[in-house]
Amino acid sequence: MFTHMVSPLTPYLPVAVVLGLAGLLAVLIPALTTRLGPRSVNEIKSATFECGSDPIGSARQRFAVKFYVVALLFIVFDVEAVFLYPWAVNFKALGWFGYGTMVAFAFTLVMGLVYIWKKGALTWES
Amino acid sequence: MLAAALFCIGMLGVLVRRNALVVFMCIELMLNAANLTFLAFARDRGDMTGHISAFFIIAVAAAEAAVGLAIVIAVFRSRGTVNIEEIQTMKH
Amino acid sequence: MTIPEFTMADFWPVIPAGILTAAAIVLMISEVFLGAAASRTYQSLLSVLACVLAGAVALMNMTDTPRAVLQGYAVMDPFSSFLTLVVCVGTGLAALLAAGFLQHRNAERGEFYALMLFAAAGMTLLGLSNEFITLFVNLEVLSVATYALTAWLRRGSRPSEGAFKYFILGAFAAALMLYGAALLYGATGTTHLTDMAAKLRAALAETDASGGHPKQMLIYAGFLLVGAGFAFKVAAVPFHMWTPDVYEGAPTPVTALMSAGVKAAAFVALVRVFMALGPAVDPQLPFIAFSVLALLTMVVGNLLALPQRNVKRMLAYSSIAHAGYLLLGVAALFAVGKDAKVGVLSSTPLVGISGSMQSDVYQGILFYLLGYTVTAIGAFGTIVALERREDETKGNAWDLDRFAGLGSRKPGWALAMTVFMLSLGGVPPTVGFIGKVLLFRAAVDAGLLGLSIVGMLASAAGVYYYLRVVVYMYMRPAPEGALVPERRWTTELALVATAAGTVLFGVLPGPITALLQRTDMLFHR
Repeated sequence: MFTHMVSPLTPYLPVAVVLGLAGLLAVLIPALTTRLGPRSVNEIKSATFECGSDPIGSARQRFAVKFYVVALLFIVFDVEAVFLYPWAVNFKALGWFGYGTMVAFAFTLVMGLVYIWKKGALTWES
Repeated sequence: MLAAALFCIGMLGVLVRRNALVVFMCIELMLNAANLTFLAFARDRGDMTGHISAFFIIAVAAAEAAVGLAIVIAVFRSRGTVNIEEIQTMKH
Repeated sequence: MTIPEFTMADFWPVIPAGILTAAAIVLMISEVFLGAAASRTYQSLLSVLACVLAGAVALMNMTDTPRAVLQGYAVMDPFSSFLTLVVCVGTGLAALLAAGFLQHRNAERGEFYALMLFAAAGMTLLGLSNEFITLFVNLEVLSVATYALTAWLRRGSRPSEGAFKYFILGAFAAALMLYGAALLYGATGTTHLTDMAAKLRAALAETDASGGHPKQMLIYAGFLLVGAGFAFKVAAVPFHMWTPDVYEGAPTPVTALMSAGVKAAAFVALVRVFMALGPAVDPQLPFIAFSVLALLTMVVGNLLALPQRNVKRMLAYSSIAHAGYLLLGVAALFAVGKDAKVGVLSSTPLVGISGSMQSDVYQGILFYLLGYTVTAIGAFGTIVALERREDETKGNAWDLDRFAGLGSRKPGWALAMTVFMLSLGGVPPTVGFIGKVLLFRAAVDAGLLGLSIVGMLASAAGVYYYLRVVVYMYMRPAPEGALVPERRWTTELALVATAAGTVLFGVLPGPITALLQRTDMLFHR
């Protein structure tokens, strides 16, 4: 009777194996390298790597607000693009109805764009 | 399950943390947990509704994030801190 | 794939929102082409015009047959159409108030009115959403617009603080509700309210191999979260903490809009969701939950308002109390028959709700919403007329002393404020009195005698702090060197309109009640 019971977790056995292997490797590789590898520590090596230029000052400095504005606008418009994909995939099937709907949608977006453009949120130099 | 854990982390974060930005992130976490739940159930049932829902939630979350960040900046400008306990001038 | 066939009949209910949105876009775009010195009074008038148009369409929709439209994502019924009407009235009056308020502060911009109209569009759509995602998106449309409006005035720390609190708690509530909706979707596989109701019963009865009910937890957790989200939005005790701070911090016209429109829309959505889903699970649960919420909200709201000297905060607490009276009506909708296992504070046997009684309760709720909207906007309007920019940072801009001697300084304003205070307190002959009568009578008919008595006692206590304002206006001498506030015709027009409405609907409620006397208020499949 009990031999026929299949635990619901059985399909996940490979996942458990992979997890175990990954954990093992994560411990093994650093352990081996610190044991076996040659070591030399000097000032240049321990300095922060910043694409070859000298790291100067704290990384937690303030950014100009215009970065925020552009970033916010980017996020908003970027996410709206998500709605274009399903329409693009089903363009033929949706026909004129889909086209009309998307024109209305895009019109609203363009109005928003016109607004921020005229407001000067897109001009970098000021 | 993962979604429930995420949701709980987000909710705890909102209730416990002091930094306004962290609280803000926790709220986003809660929204995304709901998103994940929708997707998991949608996959489970082979139903499209959950997938569509996720799109809308992402879009709404973005709009909310934009306004929320703007408000946090306004708070920071008016008092130079984002610590929630210091944002308490109105009393009963 | 099938292309949905939409006819014009599908679009009628969303036309008011369309008008509001179109006007908002026009305002937004026209703003950027204006110079800093250009006159902007037209913006307020354009907003009012849009509200009047949208309201007229909503009034036409009132007489249409209730039906599901747009593939069941929305419904068209007198309940939502009347909400649209209330929202349009509220937004129009708030826009009138905003003109003077913003000119005084040199902060009048088209975006303010655009945001107001966007929020109004969200409110009207929230009332007719019949699907969880639609509901969530519209809730966010109105919330995000109001967050931004709250932070509109950039001087001083109060507006940004209020906006911050509102944003955090509002977003928190929305996330709670969304997660609850996700759980309910998981249990039933649909987000449409009408389909969900049908599937909930089956999902609840479903058993697994060991005889347990696997989906029961999921459904109850979902209900709890959705309910908590709504309780935040309507500011029911114990989810009311944000209200006074936000109401105080926000620009006063926005506060007026929040107390009227946002609350009304949230109430209508709440009734729709729970009337669709509640009976499918167990009508007892929503009944108990709403009874307890109503009890706490009525009592705590009134008690906290009693010691307030700050009139704006006092009105915030009073709006909590009024949410309590409305929750009493909502609880009455779920009153079940004699076999009820539990009743909160019910000495009489619960009568249970029948069809005609249900329409009485709907009538009571809607009339109360209209009455409260008109009165609250009027009361906040008087504050708009009185407050001055210079006092805002000092925090005593809304002190009771500001009202001292108003009876002799500005008899017209004092008279209007008296009317509003009487109406909020539920004293005849005002609209607030009729609203309370309709609501409490419906609740008593449904057997909620105990709760109704508590409600009446609480509102009697409320009369004290409302009348205190009146006493200050007529009995106290004006303080030395009290500044005479300047007059603005838009503000005064709004005051006259609200005061006239308060008295008129109080004396002649007939046309409105006749409009609301329908058996098919809420669309059911």
